[in-house]
Amino acid sequence: MASDKELSDFLKSVEKRAFKRTVYAVREDDSALDIVQDAMIRLAEKYADRPPAEWPMLFQRILSNATMDWFRRQKVRNAVVQNLSEFESHDEDGDFDLLETLQVVEDSLGTESAAEAVSRDQILRLIEAEVAELPARQREAFLLRYWEEFDVAETAAVMGCSEGSVKTHCSRAVHALAKALRSKGITP
Amino acid sequence: MKTINPYQDVQTLEARLAARLAAGLSAQAQTLPHDIGERLRFAREQALTRAREVRQHAAAAAPVVVGVSRGAAVLAGAPAWWQRAASVLPLLVLLAGLLMIHEWLIQEQVQAAADIDAVLLADDLPPAAYTDPGFAEFLKSPAP
Repeated sequence: MASDKELSDFLKSVEKRAFKRTVYAVREDDSALDIVQDAMIRLAEKYADRPPAEWPMLFQRILSNATMDWFRRQKVRNAVVQNLSEFESHDEDGDFDLLETLQVVEDSLGTESAAEAVSRDQILRLIEAEVAELPARQREAFLLRYWEEFDVAETAAVMGCSEGSVKTHCSRAVHALAKALRSKGITP
Repeated sequence: MKTINPYQDVQTLEARLAARLAAGLSAQAQTLPHDIGERLRFAREQALTRAREVRQHAAAAAPVVVGVSRGAAVLAGAPAWWQRAASVLPLLVLLAGLLMIHEWLIQEQVQAAADIDAVLLADDLPPAAYTDPGFAEFLKSPAP
């Protein structure tokens, strides 16, 4: 059985990302804190005796459910459904243009020229703002896959969708972020 | 001017960019206001307290050795099924006793009514009975 310290260390390692992820969804600090606390308590109550290796997926699943519960309680489910349907956006650019955008943005984040144009802090805030603007499913897939570093199968399990959907959501999220950042002036 | 290779693997590029963006998010997450950090710490402690309570509750439900008498360990904990069954035995006995008393009382009442009927039937018929319309009707009716 896992010790208190293991559980404490795990919660400490995920709490900030969990809070941020929830804030992106509900856009309220207080509600996000309540949801994260609720998810932590649910994990501790039901799954503290599980092997610590299972906690990350369980916690993310619980957090997703707790966030959905919050939306249900707020009676804004229609808004969520609307957000969920937003991933059907249409990319009119060809592969070459998207590739160029991706490369430009990636270069911008990693070079001095970007730092000269916009401070690093501003860029980080901009990234955060654009992530928050992503459609809900795209954002969830992006954050689980690249921030929580789950693999495609794990992300699909947490989101309750197919691995193909996860890849599609992630790809669209990255492309949308790249475009948005480039349009905000993050260019070489 | 930078040359873009159109054959570059898009997925690799996506993954690299996503990793950069995620690193940016991580850096931003480290700059949470102090009060948010404190509330997260409080939430974590609440969860740990709850986990301890659940663990203690589970431990209390498990059998534990509460004493040793002449080499035999005495166990306490959740009672076995036969112990739980035995605990309802007095209730069943009480219920059976009440049903028996009820049945005995009914038999007593029936017996008393039968005794009265027997006495009445064995007695002489009073003459006034022949003037009773109901008795006359009874005499006219066919025997069952």
